[in-house]
Amino acid sequence: MEGIARRRSGQPHEGLEGRRTLVLVPALDAAETIGRVVADLRRHAPWADIVVIDNASTDGTAERARRAKARVLDLPLRLGRGGAIQAGFRYAREHQYDLVFQVDGDGRHWARRLASLARPILAEEADLVVGSRYLSPRGRRRRGVRVIGTRLLARLMTRMVRQRVTDPMSGFRAAGRRAIELFAREFPQDCPETLALVLMWRRGLRAREVRASTRRRRPAVAPLGLWAGLAYLVKVIPAVLMDRLKAPVGPKGEAV
Amino acid sequence: MTWQQRVVLLVLGLALLGISLALIRRRRLREEYAVLWISTSLAMLVLVLMPSALFGVASWLGLEKEGSAVLLLAVIFLAAVAVHFSVVITRYADRERDLAQEVALLKDELMRLRTEAREAPPLPPEPKPRPPALRT
Repeated sequence: MEGIARRRSGQPHEGLEGRRTLVLVPALDAAETIGRVVADLRRHAPWADIVVIDNASTDGTAERARRAKARVLDLPLRLGRGGAIQAGFRYAREHQYDLVFQVDGDGRHWARRLASLARPILAEEADLVVGSRYLSPRGRRRRGVRVIGTRLLARLMTRMVRQRVTDPMSGFRAAGRRAIELFAREFPQDCPETLALVLMWRRGLRAREVRASTRRRRPAVAPLGLWAGLAYLVKVIPAVLMDRLKAPVGPKGEAV
Repeated sequence: MTWQQRVVLLVLGLALLGISLALIRRRRLREEYAVLWISTSLAMLVLVLMPSALFGVASWLGLEKEGSAVLLLAVIFLAAVAVHFSVVITRYADRERDLAQEVALLKDELMRLRTEAREAPPLPPEPKPRPPALRT
């Protein structure tokens, strides 16, 4: 009882004491949900700062986020999803955060599950933790094109990074200092979730998946239809395969 | 080359030259690209006047006619230009991304500073400098 009260009043969660933590919420035309997402985060993760990255939305997402008392990174023009998220990592590096969470702006992730993502990082067992929908027994029952596509991609990724990957596209993540440093410098622009895993693996950083279910999207919009899903695969698979051709990037962004 | 081919090449060359000059006049073309397209159009016009310039190329490649050599060279040239432009576009997209991110961070910093300034206690009024004593 007392523990809950203390947590609500802004005391850090176990293991998170003294860490500077930040939650990044990349948002694109998410005015309808962003207020609730931010309120949820403030309630369940009061120990973290919240930054909404508004990818040049046209529906007043930034305004809603500010009204919900989040900081807003207001991109002057629309970048790819990766470019938007990277702005958040640059912010995190500049303000010296120890731990960065990423949560989708559509409200499908459970804010109170954030701390569980942090555990492997705090134990120094991983640099990036991904919340996987398909590690949980409930998620296993899901079917459909999207799941088949995800599974295909997961297989490819498992081969690629030589480690079991079940949900490469999940946008529910936590990153430690090494990952923050890397992502601020170098971050994939398209399909950033999947490609960030490849990038990390190449740089010798450790990623790990933990169980994380999602709630149904509100408002109920299918995330990717059949064609969009296929288009995503057509884009991401060559990108994953091409990654090994790339030269690493130096501290100033130059190829070395 | 047949005279029809030469006419087509002439028309295309002149059109390219005209378009390039018009774009330069309206400042819609950077100098480096202006030079590129004007030289291209001039090369086309030279070929109209002396198609035999390509005879060597054509026979070396085993092509029977200079016309085919013109087409082949055009394809190679256009492919090279397209690759070059992809590289340029990639570079600009990267810069655009960097700038957009930088602007977003700076906007945030500016807001932070403004809020701090608003919340800070007002500065004490500066003592007015005394007017210099008049010399007599």
